[in-house]
Amino acid sequence: MWTLGSGAFLGWSLGANDSANIFGTSVMTGLIKYRTAILLTAVFVIVGALLEGPKCMRVMNDLSRIPAGYVFFCTLAAALTMTALTVLGIPASTSQAIVGAVLGAGIVTGNADFSKLYKIVSCWVLTPVAGLVLGYLLHHLLGFLLNRTVTGVAARNMLFTAGVLVFGCYASYCLGANNVANVTGIYVGSGLLTPQQASSWGGAFIAVGVLTYSRRVMLTVGKGIVPLDPFSALVCLLAEALTLHLFTQIGVPVSSSQAVVGAVVGVGLVSDLKTVNPRMLLKIFMGWVLTPVSAGVVTVVFLKLLV
Amino acid sequence: MFLDRILSPGRKEQEVVELMERHLKILLSAFALFKTALENQDKGSMIGVADLEREADEVRREIIGRIYAGAFLPYLRPSLCQFVEMAEHIFDALKETAGRFMDLDLPAAIQEETHAVSALNLQMAEMLETTFEAMLQGEDLREKMLAIRIFEKKIDEIKLHLGRELWDIPVASFWEGKALSDFVTGLTTISDIMEDASDRLQIIHVSMR
Repeated sequence: MWTLGSGAFLGWSLGANDSANIFGTSVMTGLIKYRTAILLTAVFVIVGALLEGPKCMRVMNDLSRIPAGYVFFCTLAAALTMTALTVLGIPASTSQAIVGAVLGAGIVTGNADFSKLYKIVSCWVLTPVAGLVLGYLLHHLLGFLLNRTVTGVAARNMLFTAGVLVFGCYASYCLGANNVANVTGIYVGSGLLTPQQASSWGGAFIAVGVLTYSRRVMLTVGKGIVPLDPFSALVCLLAEALTLHLFTQIGVPVSSSQAVVGAVVGVGLVSDLKTVNPRMLLKIFMGWVLTPVSAGVVTVVFLKLLV
Repeated sequence: MFLDRILSPGRKEQEVVELMERHLKILLSAFALFKTALENQDKGSMIGVADLEREADEVRREIIGRIYAGAFLPYLRPSLCQFVEMAEHIFDALKETAGRFMDLDLPAAIQEETHAVSALNLQMAEMLETTFEAMLQGEDLREKMLAIRIFEKKIDEIKLHLGRELWDIPVASFWEGKALSDFVTGLTTISDIMEDASDRLQIIHVSMR
Protein backbone atom coordinates (compact mmCIF):
# COMPACT_ATOMS: atom_id res chain seq x y z
CA MET A 1 0.00 0.00 0.00
CA TRP A 2 3.03 2.27 0.23
CA THR A 3 2.74 2.74 -3.52
CA LEU A 4 -0.43 4.73 -2.85
CA GLY A 5 1.76 7.44 -1.39
CA SER A 6 2.60 8.92 -4.78
CA GLY A 7 -1.04 8.64 -5.83
CA ALA A 8 -1.97 10.59 -2.72
CA PHE A 9 0.57 13.23 -3.72
CA LEU A 10 -0.83 13.36 -7.25
CA GLY A 11 -4.40 13.58 -6.01
CA TRP A 12 -3.41 16.36 -3.64
CA SER A 13 -1.76 18.25 -6.53
CA LEU A 14 -4.84 17.80 -8.70
CA GLY A 15 -7.12 19.04 -5.97
CA ALA A 16 -4.92 22.04 -5.27
CA ASN A 17 -4.66 22.93 -8.95
CA ASP A 18 -7.99 22.10 -10.54
CA SER A 19 -10.43 23.16 -7.86
CA ALA A 20 -9.66 26.76 -8.79
CA ASN A 21 -11.37 26.15 -12.13
CA ILE A 22 -14.65 25.69 -10.33
CA PHE A 23 -15.03 28.46 -7.80
CA GLY A 24 -12.02 30.58 -8.74
CA THR A 25 -13.90 33.46 -10.35
CA SER A 26 -16.66 33.32 -7.73
CA VAL A 27 -14.19 33.55 -4.87
CA MET A 28 -12.27 36.38 -6.52
CA THR A 29 -15.41 38.44 -7.13
CA GLY A 30 -16.45 37.82 -3.53
CA LEU A 31 -19.58 35.93 -4.49
CA ILE A 32 -18.67 33.00 -2.28
CA LYS A 33 -16.21 32.72 0.54
CA TYR A 34 -13.05 30.70 -0.02
CA ARG A 35 -13.81 28.36 2.89
CA THR A 36 -17.32 27.60 1.60
CA ALA A 37 -15.96 27.00 -1.90
CA ILE A 38 -13.38 24.46 -0.84
CA LEU A 39 -15.78 22.59 1.45
CA LEU A 40 -18.38 22.22 -1.30
CA THR A 41 -15.73 21.24 -3.83
CA ALA A 42 -14.27 18.57 -1.54
CA VAL A 43 -17.64 16.97 -0.79
CA PHE A 44 -18.87 16.84 -4.37
CA VAL A 45 -15.53 15.72 -5.79
CA ILE A 46 -15.77 12.65 -3.57
CA VAL A 47 -19.36 12.01 -4.60
CA GLY A 48 -18.47 12.28 -8.30
CA ALA A 49 -15.46 10.02 -7.90
CA LEU A 50 -17.52 7.35 -6.16
CA LEU A 51 -20.47 7.42 -8.56
CA GLU A 52 -18.79 7.80 -11.98
CA GLY A 53 -15.05 7.65 -11.36
CA PRO A 54 -14.49 4.14 -12.75
CA LYS A 55 -15.72 5.17 -16.22
CA CYS A 56 -12.41 6.78 -17.18
CA MET A 57 -9.99 4.32 -15.61
CA ARG A 58 -9.55 1.92 -18.48
CA VAL A 59 -7.89 4.41 -20.82
CA MET A 60 -4.63 4.51 -18.79
CA ASN A 61 -4.36 0.76 -19.07
CA ASP A 62 -4.75 0.98 -22.83
CA LEU A 63 -1.67 3.22 -23.18
CA SER A 64 0.77 0.90 -21.54
CA ARG A 65 0.87 -2.03 -19.13
CA ILE A 66 2.66 -0.60 -16.15
CA PRO A 67 4.28 -3.16 -13.85
CA ALA A 68 3.16 -2.79 -10.24
CA GLY A 69 6.66 -1.75 -9.21
CA TYR A 70 6.66 1.19 -11.65
CA VAL A 71 3.31 2.65 -10.62
CA PHE A 72 4.77 4.52 -7.67
CA PHE A 73 7.35 6.30 -9.84
CA CYS A 74 4.87 7.15 -12.59
CA THR A 75 2.47 8.84 -10.24
CA LEU A 76 5.32 10.45 -8.33
CA ALA A 77 6.72 11.95 -11.53
CA ALA A 78 3.28 13.27 -12.51
CA ALA A 79 2.73 14.62 -9.00
CA LEU A 80 6.08 16.40 -8.87
CA THR A 81 5.41 17.99 -12.24
CA MET A 82 1.97 19.16 -11.10
CA THR A 83 3.35 20.49 -7.81
CA ALA A 84 6.10 22.45 -9.53
CA LEU A 85 3.61 24.06 -11.91
CA THR A 86 1.17 24.76 -9.06
CA VAL A 87 3.88 26.50 -7.04
CA LEU A 88 4.67 28.59 -10.12
CA GLY A 89 0.99 29.49 -10.37
CA ILE A 90 0.58 27.90 -13.81
CA PRO A 91 -2.72 26.05 -14.29
CA ALA A 92 -1.59 22.56 -15.34
CA SER A 93 -3.31 19.43 -16.57
CA THR A 94 -3.10 16.28 -14.49
CA SER A 95 -4.44 14.31 -17.43
CA GLN A 96 -1.46 15.32 -19.53
CA ALA A 97 0.95 14.78 -16.66
CA ILE A 98 -0.15 11.22 -15.98
CA VAL A 99 -0.33 10.35 -19.68
CA GLY A 100 3.18 11.75 -20.12
CA ALA A 101 4.33 9.68 -17.14
CA VAL A 102 2.64 6.49 -18.36
CA LEU A 103 4.16 6.87 -21.80
CA GLY A 104 7.53 7.58 -20.23
CA ALA A 105 7.24 4.30 -18.32
CA GLY A 106 6.06 2.61 -21.48
CA ILE A 107 9.17 3.82 -23.32
CA VAL A 108 11.37 2.35 -20.59
CA THR A 109 9.53 -1.00 -20.56
CA GLY A 110 9.18 -1.05 -24.32
CA ASN A 111 5.40 -1.61 -24.39
CA ALA A 112 4.08 1.90 -24.93
CA ASP A 113 1.14 1.85 -27.33
CA PHE A 114 1.16 5.23 -29.04
CA SER A 115 -1.75 4.24 -31.27
CA LYS A 116 -4.06 4.58 -28.26
CA LEU A 117 -2.82 8.12 -27.85
CA TYR A 118 -4.94 9.16 -30.80
CA LYS A 119 -8.23 8.98 -28.88
CA ILE A 120 -6.75 10.71 -25.84
CA VAL A 121 -5.11 13.56 -27.76
CA SER A 122 -8.29 14.04 -29.79
CA CYS A 123 -10.22 14.48 -26.56
CA TRP A 124 -7.58 16.92 -25.26
CA VAL A 125 -7.96 19.01 -28.39
CA LEU A 126 -11.75 18.78 -28.31
CA THR A 127 -11.98 19.75 -24.63
CA PRO A 128 -11.42 23.49 -25.06
CA VAL A 129 -13.43 23.40 -28.28
CA ALA A 130 -16.35 21.81 -26.46
CA GLY A 131 -15.97 24.35 -23.67
CA LEU A 132 -15.96 27.17 -26.21
CA VAL A 133 -19.01 25.92 -28.10
CA LEU A 134 -20.97 25.23 -24.93
CA GLY A 135 -19.97 28.58 -23.43
CA TYR A 136 -21.08 30.43 -26.54
CA LEU A 137 -24.37 28.56 -26.96
CA LEU A 138 -25.31 28.59 -23.29
CA HIS A 139 -24.65 32.34 -23.05
CA HIS A 140 -27.13 32.97 -25.86
CA LEU A 141 -29.69 30.42 -24.71
CA LEU A 142 -29.67 31.22 -21.00
CA GLY A 143 -29.48 34.94 -21.74
CA PHE A 144 -32.58 34.64 -23.91
CA LEU A 145 -34.46 32.74 -21.19
CA LEU A 146 -33.31 35.04 -18.43
CA ASN A 147 -34.38 38.23 -20.19
CA ARG A 148 -37.86 36.81 -20.62
CA THR A 149 -38.35 35.39 -17.14
CA VAL A 150 -36.23 37.04 -14.46
CA THR A 151 -35.85 40.77 -14.97
CA GLY A 152 -35.72 42.33 -11.49
CA VAL A 153 -32.37 43.22 -9.95
CA ALA A 154 -33.02 41.46 -6.66
CA ALA A 155 -34.41 38.34 -8.38
CA ARG A 156 -31.41 38.10 -10.71
CA ASN A 157 -29.10 38.67 -7.79
CA MET A 158 -30.67 35.69 -6.01
CA LEU A 159 -30.56 33.57 -9.16
CA PHE A 160 -26.88 34.24 -9.79
CA THR A 161 -25.98 33.52 -6.19
CA ALA A 162 -27.91 30.24 -6.17
CA GLY A 163 -26.66 29.36 -9.64
CA VAL A 164 -23.02 29.66 -8.66
CA LEU A 165 -23.56 27.31 -5.73
CA VAL A 166 -25.54 24.73 -7.71
CA PHE A 167 -23.39 24.76 -10.83
CA GLY A 168 -20.25 24.84 -8.71
CA CYS A 169 -21.32 21.69 -6.91
CA TYR A 170 -22.15 20.05 -10.25
CA ALA A 171 -18.76 21.05 -11.65
CA SER A 172 -17.05 19.62 -8.56
CA TYR A 173 -18.95 16.38 -9.05
CA CYS A 174 -17.83 16.26 -12.70
CA LEU A 175 -14.23 17.00 -11.70
CA GLY A 176 -14.25 14.04 -9.34
CA ALA A 177 -16.00 11.79 -11.86
CA ASN A 178 -13.62 12.64 -14.72
CA ASN A 179 -10.28 13.25 -13.06
CA VAL A 180 -10.09 10.59 -10.35
CA ALA A 181 -8.86 8.25 -13.08
CA ASN A 182 -5.78 10.47 -13.43
CA VAL A 183 -4.96 9.93 -9.79
CA THR A 184 -5.57 6.23 -9.22
CA GLY A 185 -6.56 4.79 -12.60
CA ILE A 186 -3.03 3.52 -13.10
CA TYR A 187 -3.35 1.37 -9.96
CA VAL A 188 -6.36 -0.43 -11.45
CA GLY A 189 -4.44 -1.29 -14.60
CA SER A 190 -1.60 -2.71 -12.53
CA GLY A 191 -3.99 -4.78 -10.45
CA LEU A 192 -3.17 -3.02 -7.19
CA LEU A 193 -6.68 -1.65 -6.65
CA THR A 194 -10.23 -2.37 -7.80
CA PRO A 195 -12.02 0.46 -9.60
CA GLN A 196 -14.16 1.21 -6.55
CA GLN A 197 -11.17 1.28 -4.23
CA ALA A 198 -9.35 3.51 -6.67
CA SER A 199 -12.34 5.87 -6.84
CA SER A 200 -12.59 6.08 -3.04
CA TRP A 201 -8.92 6.70 -2.44
CA GLY A 202 -8.56 9.03 -5.41
CA GLY A 203 -11.56 11.11 -4.41
CA ALA A 204 -10.24 11.45 -0.89
CA PHE A 205 -6.78 12.52 -2.07
CA ILE A 206 -8.24 15.16 -4.38
CA ALA A 207 -10.44 16.48 -1.57
CA VAL A 208 -7.41 16.89 0.70
CA GLY A 209 -5.63 18.89 -2.01
CA VAL A 210 -8.66 21.13 -2.41
CA LEU A 211 -8.86 21.77 1.31
CA THR A 212 -5.17 22.43 1.93
CA TYR A 213 -3.50 24.16 -1.05
CA SER A 214 -5.95 25.54 -3.62
CA ARG A 215 -5.87 29.23 -2.68
CA ARG A 216 -2.94 30.38 -4.78
CA VAL A 217 -4.07 28.93 -8.12
CA MET A 218 -7.60 30.07 -7.34
CA LEU A 219 -6.30 33.64 -7.24
CA THR A 220 -4.52 33.20 -10.59
CA VAL A 221 -7.43 31.67 -12.46
CA GLY A 222 -9.93 34.01 -10.84
CA LYS A 223 -8.43 37.25 -11.98
CA GLY A 224 -6.10 36.44 -14.83
CA ILE A 225 -8.09 35.53 -17.90
CA VAL A 226 -11.20 37.56 -18.66
CA PRO A 227 -13.13 40.07 -16.58
CA LEU A 228 -16.48 38.33 -16.17
CA ASP A 229 -19.88 39.64 -15.13
CA PRO A 230 -21.94 37.36 -12.86
CA PHE A 231 -23.99 35.86 -15.68
CA SER A 232 -20.94 35.07 -17.81
CA ALA A 233 -19.20 33.49 -14.82
CA LEU A 234 -22.22 31.26 -14.30
CA VAL A 235 -22.27 30.22 -17.95
CA CYS A 236 -18.55 29.40 -17.88
CA LEU A 237 -19.04 27.21 -14.84
CA LEU A 238 -21.90 25.28 -16.44
CA ALA A 239 -20.06 24.91 -19.76
CA GLU A 240 -16.99 23.56 -17.96
CA ALA A 241 -19.07 21.08 -15.96
CA LEU A 242 -20.95 19.83 -19.03
CA THR A 243 -17.68 19.41 -20.93
CA LEU A 244 -16.16 17.31 -18.16
CA HIS A 245 -19.32 15.24 -17.82
CA LEU A 246 -19.42 14.66 -21.58
CA PHE A 247 -15.88 13.29 -21.67
CA THR A 248 -16.58 11.19 -18.59
CA GLN A 249 -19.23 9.37 -20.63
CA ILE A 250 -16.71 8.98 -23.48
CA GLY A 251 -14.32 7.48 -20.93
CA VAL A 252 -11.35 9.83 -21.26
CA PRO A 253 -10.07 12.02 -18.42
CA VAL A 254 -9.54 15.53 -19.69
CA SER A 255 -8.32 18.81 -18.34
CA SER A 256 -10.76 20.98 -16.42
CA SER A 257 -8.34 23.88 -17.02
CA GLN A 258 -8.72 23.52 -20.76
CA ALA A 259 -12.48 23.21 -20.43
CA VAL A 260 -12.80 26.42 -18.44
CA VAL A 261 -10.46 28.37 -20.72
CA GLY A 262 -12.51 27.24 -23.70
CA ALA A 263 -15.69 28.28 -21.92
CA VAL A 264 -14.27 31.68 -21.03
CA VAL A 265 -13.18 32.29 -24.62
CA GLY A 266 -16.61 31.16 -25.85
CA VAL A 267 -18.30 33.64 -23.55
CA GLY A 268 -15.78 36.29 -24.57
CA LEU A 269 -16.74 35.72 -28.21
CA VAL A 270 -20.32 36.66 -27.38
CA SER A 271 -19.28 40.11 -26.23
CA ASP A 272 -15.84 41.15 -27.34
CA LEU A 273 -12.72 39.18 -28.30
CA LYS A 274 -10.53 41.92 -26.81
CA THR A 275 -11.64 40.97 -23.32
CA VAL A 276 -9.40 37.88 -23.45
CA ASN A 277 -6.05 38.37 -21.68
CA PRO A 278 -3.41 37.00 -24.11
CA ARG A 279 -0.66 36.87 -21.50
CA MET A 280 -2.62 34.61 -19.23
CA LEU A 281 -3.65 32.39 -22.13
CA LEU A 282 0.00 32.11 -23.13
CA LYS A 283 0.89 31.06 -19.61
CA ILE A 284 -1.73 28.36 -19.74
CA PHE A 285 -0.59 27.12 -23.14
CA MET A 286 2.95 26.88 -21.79
CA GLY A 287 1.65 24.64 -19.04
CA TRP A 288 -0.06 22.39 -21.53
CA VAL A 289 3.21 21.84 -23.40
CA LEU A 290 5.46 21.61 -20.39
CA THR A 291 3.27 19.22 -18.41
CA PRO A 292 3.35 15.97 -20.43
CA VAL A 293 6.92 16.47 -21.58
CA SER A 294 8.20 17.18 -18.07
CA ALA A 295 6.27 14.30 -16.56
CA GLY A 296 7.57 11.89 -19.21
CA VAL A 297 11.17 12.99 -18.76
CA VAL A 298 10.96 12.76 -14.97
CA THR A 299 9.46 9.27 -15.19
CA VAL A 300 12.21 8.06 -17.49
CA VAL A 301 14.85 9.51 -15.18
CA PHE A 302 13.25 7.87 -12.12
CA LEU A 303 12.97 4.47 -13.75
CA LYS A 304 16.46 4.52 -15.23
CA LEU A 305 18.10 5.62 -11.99
CA LEU A 306 16.01 4.03 -9.27
CA VAL A 307 14.54 0.83 -10.65
CA MET B 1 -23.66 33.19 7.37
CA PHE B 2 -23.67 30.59 4.59
CA LEU B 3 -26.70 28.80 6.12
CA ASP B 4 -28.40 32.14 6.56
CA ARG B 5 -28.02 32.79 2.84
CA ILE B 6 -29.46 29.39 1.94
CA LEU B 7 -32.41 29.54 4.33
CA SER B 8 -33.40 33.18 3.77
CA PRO B 9 -32.49 34.00 0.19
CA GLY B 10 -32.99 37.63 -0.78
CA ARG B 11 -33.82 38.86 2.73
CA LYS B 12 -30.79 41.15 3.00
CA GLU B 13 -31.37 42.51 -0.49
CA GLN B 14 -35.02 43.23 0.34
CA GLU B 15 -34.01 45.13 3.47
CA VAL B 16 -31.57 47.25 1.49
CA VAL B 17 -34.18 47.96 -1.17
CA GLU B 18 -36.67 49.07 1.49
CA LEU B 19 -34.09 51.37 3.04
CA MET B 20 -33.23 52.87 -0.35
CA GLU B 21 -36.93 53.47 -1.01
CA ARG B 22 -37.21 55.16 2.37
CA HIS B 23 -34.16 57.29 1.56
CA LEU B 24 -35.78 58.48 -1.66
CA LYS B 25 -39.11 59.12 0.10
CA ILE B 26 -37.31 61.41 2.59
CA LEU B 27 -35.71 63.15 -0.40
CA LEU B 28 -39.13 63.75 -1.92
CA SER B 29 -40.42 65.11 1.40
CA ALA B 30 -37.45 67.47 1.56
CA PHE B 31 -38.11 68.78 -1.96
CA ALA B 32 -41.82 69.22 -1.21
CA LEU B 33 -41.03 71.08 2.03
CA PHE B 34 -38.51 73.28 0.26
CA LYS B 35 -40.98 74.16 -2.50
CA THR B 36 -43.75 75.02 -0.03
CA ALA B 37 -41.46 77.05 2.24
CA LEU B 38 -40.04 78.93 -0.75
CA GLU B 39 -43.47 79.77 -2.17
CA ASN B 40 -44.71 80.95 1.23
CA GLN B 41 -41.41 82.70 2.08
CA ASP B 42 -41.57 80.64 5.29
CA LYS B 43 -38.08 80.48 6.79
CA GLY B 44 -39.36 78.62 9.84
CA SER B 45 -40.49 75.68 7.73
CA MET B 46 -37.31 75.77 5.65
CA ILE B 47 -35.36 74.65 8.75
CA GLY B 48 -37.13 71.30 8.38
CA VAL B 49 -35.02 70.53 5.29
CA ALA B 50 -31.90 70.23 7.46
CA ASP B 51 -33.75 67.90 9.83
CA LEU B 52 -34.77 65.67 6.94
CA GLU B 53 -31.20 65.68 5.67
CA ARG B 54 -29.97 64.41 9.03
CA GLU B 55 -32.58 61.66 9.01
CA ALA B 56 -31.53 60.70 5.48
CA ASP B 57 -27.90 60.54 6.62
CA GLU B 58 -28.81 57.87 9.17
CA VAL B 59 -30.62 55.85 6.54
CA ARG B 60 -27.70 56.20 4.13
CA ARG B 61 -25.23 54.82 6.67
CA GLU B 62 -27.57 51.92 7.34
CA ILE B 63 -27.86 51.17 3.60
CA ILE B 64 -24.13 51.15 2.96
CA GLY B 65 -23.45 49.11 6.07
CA ARG B 66 -25.96 46.47 5.01
CA ILE B 67 -24.74 46.36 1.44
CA TYR B 68 -21.20 45.63 2.53
CA ALA B 69 -22.42 43.22 5.21
CA GLY B 70 -23.40 40.90 2.36
CA ALA B 71 -26.41 42.17 0.43
CA PHE B 72 -26.27 41.94 -3.35
CA LEU B 73 -23.50 40.58 -5.55
CA PRO B 74 -20.09 42.18 -4.95
CA TYR B 75 -20.22 43.15 -8.63
CA LEU B 76 -23.26 45.34 -7.95
CA ARG B 77 -22.33 46.85 -4.61
CA PRO B 78 -20.16 49.78 -5.77
CA SER B 79 -22.83 50.99 -8.21
CA LEU B 80 -25.57 50.79 -5.58
CA CYS B 81 -23.43 52.65 -3.06
CA GLN B 82 -22.58 55.30 -5.63
CA PHE B 83 -26.27 55.89 -6.27
CA VAL B 84 -26.93 56.26 -2.55
CA GLU B 85 -24.00 58.68 -2.24
CA MET B 86 -25.37 60.71 -5.14
CA ALA B 87 -28.74 60.90 -3.42
CA GLU B 88 -26.84 62.16 -0.39
CA HIS B 89 -25.18 64.85 -2.54
CA ILE B 90 -28.63 65.93 -3.70
CA PHE B 91 -29.64 66.25 -0.07
CA ASP B 92 -26.52 68.24 0.77
CA ALA B 93 -27.09 70.62 -2.13
CA LEU B 94 -30.72 71.09 -1.11
CA LYS B 95 -29.78 71.71 2.52
CA GLU B 96 -27.16 74.29 1.56
CA THR B 97 -29.62 76.04 -0.73
CA ALA B 98 -32.19 76.07 2.08
CA GLY B 99 -29.51 77.50 4.35
CA ARG B 100 -28.78 80.31 1.87
CA PHE B 101 -32.50 81.11 1.76
CA MET B 102 -32.42 81.77 5.51
CA ASP B 103 -29.91 84.58 4.95
CA LEU B 104 -31.82 86.58 2.37
CA ASP B 105 -35.12 88.11 1.32
CA LEU B 106 -35.90 86.75 -2.12
CA PRO B 107 -36.31 89.68 -4.57
CA ALA B 108 -39.69 89.81 -6.30
CA ALA B 109 -38.00 89.93 -9.72
CA ILE B 110 -36.83 86.33 -9.49
CA GLN B 111 -39.53 84.79 -7.32
CA GLU B 112 -41.48 83.33 -10.21
CA GLU B 113 -38.44 81.66 -11.78
CA THR B 114 -37.18 80.27 -8.47
CA HIS B 115 -40.61 78.84 -7.71
CA ALA B 116 -40.64 77.25 -11.16
CA VAL B 117 -37.20 75.68 -10.62
CA SER B 118 -38.27 74.41 -7.21
CA ALA B 119 -41.37 72.79 -8.73
CA LEU B 120 -39.29 71.22 -11.51
CA ASN B 121 -36.80 69.88 -8.97
CA LEU B 122 -39.67 68.21 -7.12
CA GLN B 123 -41.00 66.65 -10.32
CA MET B 124 -37.51 65.51 -11.23
CA ALA B 125 -37.08 63.89 -7.82
CA GLU B 126 -40.41 62.08 -8.24
CA MET B 127 -39.26 60.82 -11.64
CA LEU B 128 -35.97 59.70 -10.08
CA GLU B 129 -37.91 57.65 -7.54
CA THR B 130 -40.04 56.15 -10.31
CA THR B 131 -36.91 55.32 -12.28
CA PHE B 132 -35.43 53.60 -9.23
CA GLU B 133 -38.54 51.43 -8.84
CA ALA B 134 -38.48 50.60 -12.54
CA MET B 135 -34.80 49.66 -12.30
CA LEU B 136 -35.59 47.24 -9.48
CA GLN B 137 -38.22 45.55 -11.64
CA GLY B 138 -35.86 45.34 -14.60
CA GLU B 139 -38.06 47.56 -16.76
CA ASP B 140 -36.83 49.67 -19.65
CA LEU B 141 -35.61 53.01 -18.26
CA ARG B 142 -35.28 54.96 -21.48
CA GLU B 143 -38.51 56.96 -21.29
CA LYS B 144 -37.98 57.88 -17.66
CA MET B 145 -34.38 58.90 -18.34
CA LEU B 146 -35.63 61.08 -21.18
CA ALA B 147 -38.17 62.73 -18.88
CA ILE B 148 -35.42 63.51 -16.38
CA ARG B 149 -33.29 65.05 -19.10
CA ILE B 150 -36.21 67.17 -20.27
CA PHE B 151 -36.71 68.50 -16.74
CA GLU B 152 -33.00 69.25 -16.47
CA LYS B 153 -33.04 71.11 -19.78
CA LYS B 154 -35.99 73.25 -18.65
CA ILE B 155 -34.15 74.13 -15.45
CA ASP B 156 -31.04 75.01 -17.47
CA GLU B 157 -33.10 77.44 -19.59
CA ILE B 158 -34.53 79.11 -16.48
CA LYS B 159 -31.05 79.22 -14.97
CA LEU B 160 -29.79 81.16 -17.98
CA HIS B 161 -32.62 83.65 -17.63
CA LEU B 162 -32.12 83.94 -13.88
CA GLY B 163 -28.45 84.69 -14.40
CA ARG B 164 -29.33 87.70 -16.54
CA GLU B 165 -32.02 88.86 -14.07
CA LEU B 166 -29.54 88.84 -11.20
CA TRP B 167 -27.40 91.50 -12.90
CA ASP B 168 -30.23 94.02 -12.55
CA ILE B 169 -30.99 93.34 -8.89
CA PRO B 170 -29.48 95.94 -6.54
CA VAL B 171 -27.71 94.60 -3.44
CA ALA B 172 -26.63 96.43 -0.29
CA SER B 173 -23.33 94.60 0.09
CA PHE B 174 -21.01 92.00 -1.41
CA TRP B 175 -22.22 89.34 1.06
CA GLU B 176 -25.87 89.96 0.26
CA GLY B 177 -25.08 89.56 -3.41
CA LYS B 178 -23.05 86.45 -2.72
CA ALA B 179 -25.83 84.89 -0.66
CA LEU B 180 -28.31 85.54 -3.45
CA SER B 181 -25.93 84.19 -6.08
CA ASP B 182 -25.19 81.08 -4.02
CA PHE B 183 -28.88 80.48 -3.47
CA VAL B 184 -29.68 80.67 -7.19
CA THR B 185 -26.64 78.56 -8.12
CA GLY B 186 -27.52 75.91 -5.55
CA LEU B 187 -31.16 75.82 -6.60
CA THR B 188 -30.30 75.33 -10.28
CA THR B 189 -27.48 72.77 -9.94
CA ILE B 190 -29.41 70.24 -7.87
CA SER B 191 -30.91 69.02 -11.14
CA ASP B 192 -27.45 68.22 -12.51
CA ILE B 193 -26.79 65.88 -9.60
CA MET B 194 -30.19 64.24 -10.07
CA GLU B 195 -29.44 63.66 -13.72
CA ASP B 196 -26.13 62.01 -12.77
CA ALA B 197 -27.97 59.85 -10.25
CA SER B 198 -30.39 58.69 -12.95
CA ASP B 199 -27.40 57.78 -15.14
CA ARG B 200 -26.11 55.63 -12.29
CA LEU B 201 -29.44 53.79 -12.23
CA GLN B 202 -29.05 53.07 -15.92
CA ILE B 203 -25.59 51.64 -15.28
CA ILE B 204 -26.98 49.34 -12.58
CA HIS B 205 -29.79 48.30 -14.92
CA VAL B 206 -27.40 47.50 -17.79
CA SER B 207 -24.87 45.67 -15.62
CA MET B 208 -27.46 43.10 -14.61
CA ARG B 209 -28.58 42.28 -18.16
